[in-house]
Amino acid sequence: MARYGMLIDTRRCVGCFACRLACQMKNTLGPKEGFVHFEHLETGAFPHVDAEVIPMQCMHCEDAPCQHVCPTGATHTTEDGVVLVEESKCIGCKYCMVACPYSVRMIEEKSGVVEKCRFCWDDELGGPNNPSCVATCIADARIFGDLDDPESDVSKAIAELGAQPIAGDLTKTKIFYVRG
Amino acid sequence: MTKRITRRSFLRASAGSAALASAGVVGFADWQAERAHADEAADAAQATGETKRVSTLCNGCTNECGLWVNVKDGVIHTLEGNPESPNSGGRMCGRGHGFAQMTYSADRLLHPMKRMENGDFEPISWDQAYLEIASKLTAIIAKNGPQAFAFIRDPRPNINFYGPRFTAALGSSNIYTHGASCNLSLQSAYRATIGGGFSADIANAKMIMFIGRSYADGITPANVKALANLSTGTECHIVIVDPRFNNSGHLADQWVPIKPGTDLAFVLAMSNVLIEDELYDKDFVDKYVLGFNAFKKEVAQFSPEWASDICGIEAEIIRELAYEMAAAAPAAVIEPSWRAAFGCAHQNSFMTGRAVAAFNALLGNYGQKGGALITSSPALGALPADKFPSPPLVDTPRVGNAEYPLAVPGMGTNLAALKAMIAGDIKAVFFYQSNAAKGYANPKVWEEGLDKCDLVVDIDVQMSETAMLADYVLPECSYLERLEAVYTQGGKKHTVSLRDKAIDIVHPDTRPLDQIMRELSAVIGVGKYFDFTIDELVEAQLNSIGLTTEELREKGIIDLGTSDFEYGKVPAFATPSGKIEFYSVTVGKAGLSPIITWQDRKAHPAEGEFYFVGGKQSVQSHTMTTSIEALMNISKEYKLERLWVNASDAEALGIKEDDTVEISSSEYTDTIRVHVTERIMPGVVWAPTHYGGSSPYLTQGYDFGICVPNFQPFDMEPGTGATMSQEFTVSIKKVGA
Repeated sequence: MARYGMLIDTRRCVGCFACRLACQMKNTLGPKEGFVHFEHLETGAFPHVDAEVIPMQCMHCEDAPCQHVCPTGATHTTEDGVVLVEESKCIGCKYCMVACPYSVRMIEEKSGVVEKCRFCWDDELGGPNNPSCVATCIADARIFGDLDDPESDVSKAIAELGAQPIAGDLTKTKIFYVRG
Repeated sequence: MTKRITRRSFLRASAGSAALASAGVVGFADWQAERAHADEAADAAQATGETKRVSTLCNGCTNECGLWVNVKDGVIHTLEGNPESPNSGGRMCGRGHGFAQMTYSADRLLHPMKRMENGDFEPISWDQAYLEIASKLTAIIAKNGPQAFAFIRDPRPNINFYGPRFTAALGSSNIYTHGASCNLSLQSAYRATIGGGFSADIANAKMIMFIGRSYADGITPANVKALANLSTGTECHIVIVDPRFNNSGHLADQWVPIKPGTDLAFVLAMSNVLIEDELYDKDFVDKYVLGFNAFKKEVAQFSPEWASDICGIEAEIIRELAYEMAAAAPAAVIEPSWRAAFGCAHQNSFMTGRAVAAFNALLGNYGQKGGALITSSPALGALPADKFPSPPLVDTPRVGNAEYPLAVPGMGTNLAALKAMIAGDIKAVFFYQSNAAKGYANPKVWEEGLDKCDLVVDIDVQMSETAMLADYVLPECSYLERLEAVYTQGGKKHTVSLRDKAIDIVHPDTRPLDQIMRELSAVIGVGKYFDFTIDELVEAQLNSIGLTTEELREKGIIDLGTSDFEYGKVPAFATPSGKIEFYSVTVGKAGLSPIITWQDRKAHPAEGEFYFVGGKQSVQSHTMTTSIEALMNISKEYKLERLWVNASDAEALGIKEDDTVEISSSEYTDTIRVHVTERIMPGVVWAPTHYGGSSPYLTQGYDFGICVPNFQPFDMEPGTGATMSQEFTVSIKKVGA
């Protein structure tokens, strides 16, 4: 059993949208749909400025508000810590969209299901299958792996770089950010 | 000559996309019906559950990144970068993912199209298209000679083989790339100064300076990764010299805002510091530089204090940067750039390129770790002459060569061809995957030139603005549906790869370029130069270097192991003197200063006006990508079309975020939304250069944002014939104010 998580290093991210587009194709989303969206932060005044791009997607919270409010149990967490939506149980009530503090759930047009990042979960494999946002990242700004394995790349990087959840311990997320 | 449909007349004649259909010719409804049919076919195939993995090259820009395409049930599913590809480095940018979706675009061309007397397009058969084109072309050449023909292309492996061959087969030498609106100035400058292009050894640099170029906006994936590695893992000092804090700014240590088109003064002033304070590499200069003493005398006048006003940079910052570069040398480099600030932007872009190459020479960094690398490229062997006979060499100089002798021969200046069309000397022109009439120079001048031609043929996958001005439009299949000629890439390693067919042809009446060239040339009567299939050509090309198609398909990319590059070895400089030419007789003969010196930009803002700069974006690089729905949805969601205005300028003009302003140059007025930001120098505005689509056939990008070339006066850089894309100024005012 693993506990899957990800590190996103915004010091390296250039906001190129490759992750959103790779994810869109792999998860057969519509051209307007995306599991990843981006916050753009501009700081300082000319000429002392900086610009940071923060990719946002489902944080796979251990204390997932979307799961708590789901009336049918469609939103659930696998043994490996991946928060998934069971399509047949979702009634499209959108409670989860309201509950998510990160605003990363979206209605998939073709099914009406309120979907989100699933770490490229593969039913046949029974686990994440090489998440496309990580595989395509041109800046190597993302690392994926098992948070419970201290020897995994992601665990080592989180420790070394002091990566933190985006909003402290609000929901015990499994995505960790290096900001700067 | 039949009437051209302009955007205005199209809108007048109809109200929207049903227009062409209601006029009795092909329209969107027909296209959609075809698309639906394609969907059904795809559904039927789904039963097989077949998957395969095909190695190919991306076509989203000219980088030729190596990819693996995953095909499921005969349909493109996902794409991944090939780790062996020097440019992709195993990754893939967003534009690449998006551009693959072109294959299934509802806006693709499905049949050969002919412009009718009333200006509308009508689908015709391939046989009719070939017969009519051949008959017109042979008549034009019989009457006016072969130089009345020109071929303009955006270079790709297939067109690089077939375009020059077809042009020569007709007896013409008028073959051009898009270069005049890309990096013609700087490539010509590097050719004149160091004998060809160079690359920056990013991974090993201790200091690297980018002038105008942004790896995060005009993307090569491997470069972005290397820069991110430098930024977070090393002490390398990364400097961005740009009027805009571009999207690479976040990876840099220092942003040096500079007035647009004054980069030359900045580089000359840094050269002045290196020479006056004796910080340059004397041994290297003594051994490898021609004309150093004349240059030393010349730059004595270009002190940092002199440059300060011109560039808008404090003299002390210029001095410090020169000192830091010298301290880090030879692992310090000014990155060569691409289109950006001096690829084709100003009348001094060629001179700026020369100065950059010279500054690197003062650092003694050529061939050194962390410096400027000059590498070789692999060559294919000769093809068997019986099967692949070459057309006779054409001795007549290409149109434009006499007036613009400094232009890199492999590119030429297509704008000279345009002028010859207007003068009536060129009467027939072919375009391949080239939206010249929208992006290469002012569109109204292209409209005038193409209107004067007796025959305009465009080969493309979609009805671009250039296709709108053609007499015949020949629909190619998308890049994922065709095999192309062999692609070789030079550099630290020599590789060979293929753009290969990943899926069957989606729309049955579209054809790949090689087939179009073979069939058309046969009707024209020059078929003997094209009497082979693309499979036969590829196999023969690979056999010439001891490989087979099967072998390459299996591996995707093969390292030929023929690169002779080694660090520390000063490369040969392929200039007339064999040295780095700070003084160039060739440049002098072309009427420019033989010694590298200061030359001002042409257009200066009057009181209240702004400098204009434009650029690429990660998800869009050329007009061709603005028809991709997934990419355009990002452009729309994140308002990527907006004009960047500095916050203090905006305040003075009463402009707020997302306000619409009227923007005017000497040539054109349009409206655009504003992004108010601290990330641009006061007095300068910036906008992306690929939007403002005006082909009503291309629904995604239609009328979104501004078309920057509309604002640009028609002009050509002396010596090179580059388009001078940023030699204009603009005024802006809030709409309704």
